[in-house]
Amino acid sequence: MTAILTLDTVSKRFGGLVAVDQVSFSVPDGAIYSVIGPNGAGKTTLFNLISALFRPSEGAITFDGHRIEQARTHQLAGFGIGRTFQNLAIFSHSTVVENLLVGLHHRLKANLLTSALFWGPARREEVAARRKVEEIIDFLEIQHLRDTPVGLLSYGLQKRVELGRALATEPRLLLLDEMVSGMNSEETEDIARFILDLREAFGTTVVMVEHDMGIVMDISDRIAVLNHGALIAEGTPAEISGNQAVLEAYLGKA
Amino acid sequence: MRTHHFVETYERHLALSDNPVTWSWTGALLVGLVVLPFLVGGYALSIAIAIGIAVVGAIGLNLLTGVTGLISLGQAGFLAAGCYTTALLIDDYGWSTEPALLAAGVMSALLSLLVGIPSLRLKGLYLAITTMAFSFIVTHFLLYAESITHGPYGVRIEDLDFLGLDLGSARQLYYLVLAIALITTLAALNILRTRIGRAFMAVRDHDVAARVMGISLTRYKLFAFVTSSFIVGIAGGLMAFQFRFINVDIFTVLLSVEALAMIIVGGLGSVAGAILGAAFIVLLPEITRSLLDFLPAAAAEALSIHIFEIRGLLTGLAIIVMLRIEPHGLIGLWRQTKRYWTGWPLSV
Repeated sequence: MTAILTLDTVSKRFGGLVAVDQVSFSVPDGAIYSVIGPNGAGKTTLFNLISALFRPSEGAITFDGHRIEQARTHQLAGFGIGRTFQNLAIFSHSTVVENLLVGLHHRLKANLLTSALFWGPARREEVAARRKVEEIIDFLEIQHLRDTPVGLLSYGLQKRVELGRALATEPRLLLLDEMVSGMNSEETEDIARFILDLREAFGTTVVMVEHDMGIVMDISDRIAVLNHGALIAEGTPAEISGNQAVLEAYLGKA
Repeated sequence: MRTHHFVETYERHLALSDNPVTWSWTGALLVGLVVLPFLVGGYALSIAIAIGIAVVGAIGLNLLTGVTGLISLGQAGFLAAGCYTTALLIDDYGWSTEPALLAAGVMSALLSLLVGIPSLRLKGLYLAITTMAFSFIVTHFLLYAESITHGPYGVRIEDLDFLGLDLGSARQLYYLVLAIALITTLAALNILRTRIGRAFMAVRDHDVAARVMGISLTRYKLFAFVTSSFIVGIAGGLMAFQFRFINVDIFTVLLSVEALAMIIVGGLGSVAGAILGAAFIVLLPEITRSLLDFLPAAAAEALSIHIFEIRGLLTGLAIIVMLRIEPHGLIGLWRQTKRYWTGWPLSV
């Protein structure tokens, strides 16, 4: 299987702190790929590098054959990379529909003038966008919440809207940062089901940072383990769960 | 209780309102606004014109501060830029009124790039101070660049007509202001229901997420500055038409604060809120004045000397009271009332 995302000796230093230390791995196209590690291992920093919020101190990041480590953050959606955040990053004053519509931003073309007139193409693309958003609403089973301001929803549902907003960008690669933290087991199962379904339905590759070992071991195709910024293991769930270095990183040496 | 309100097409979802009752009330309001000059006297009409101009300015400021979350205390500066551009082009350069009004918007929009580009990374209080400083620079320039701006002598413009309307007649000026206020309202509502308006709101609510969604912060913050200032500049140009004699003394920091008060009291981020807030703040001193009439003559006399201070005091008080009882402003109160009656008798 070809790799859709490749990291080649990527490092990120903040002053003297090495947050990500010469990490290399490849994510196969269509895979569900998990990045795990103890707190402070550099997982979120790694995500911020892939989504161009940070630039790596060294190393190369290749997405779909193109180098992206020097890209600007707002170009990523256009490349086909969507993401959610560890702490909620929804537009809390807007409704569910409006949040999802923002995800479609880069596919719409209206400029200030056609927007102000709301005429012809601007109106037509809004109708098409609305139709697309309804598909995502159906997919995520949040029909009843369409016009609710997202700030009023429960945490689990807010996360679901955030997932929907990332899906609205029509990503080929979806980065999920601790999607299920703080969720109960039922909500976690819902999210696991959505992740499997969306790969099935849209062929999306999923990379997730996750602390919940249940979901990681159940649905991942491959797992990368970080500790102190360095990659200490990479392989299938079965390989990882038997790996001595991983056990030591989590539990300490016997 | 109202039930059976189903929306069957995406087009209807996108309509400004799909409710015939709302449309008929809006129609009634429009008819009321059109016949208003035939029902009220000259003084009331001048207040109506002031409200119309304030509505245009407040909608403009609301796009920047309410929708995009970029707090501006520079409203007076943008109004002054628009007002002087129109007046000077007409008085000194012999322009006709139509291009001179358009130039007010363009000048104000260009100046907004001047303040917008260096302050792209600023937010909150820092941006507020920067925009206030901009406003000071503008008024300072207007006062001291005497060869261009007539400095302390001000600018006088006479006998104007705009697309056949005689602006010397309050009634005809009223119709011009009404038309521009309606166009502004419609344009703002349209911007807010398309990608540009949503991008503005995304920048306000979560700028990192906005970037990941493909929204360039640089571009949309500048869009917000330019759009907002263009509209505010037009409001400034209309002020020149109303006052006929303009002087830099009008464009004080208090004017900027009043503009902020309009959108806060009305309800941040809402076009209808900006309209209500503008009307409220313009009417506030008028209401005070009529209340003074009920006081004993001596007390009224004493207070009327300080009418300017009282006006500032009331503006501040209005903001505090509003923030305390309804942070979503007048439009929030309106929505609550509506929700109550829609659900009646089941609502609590």
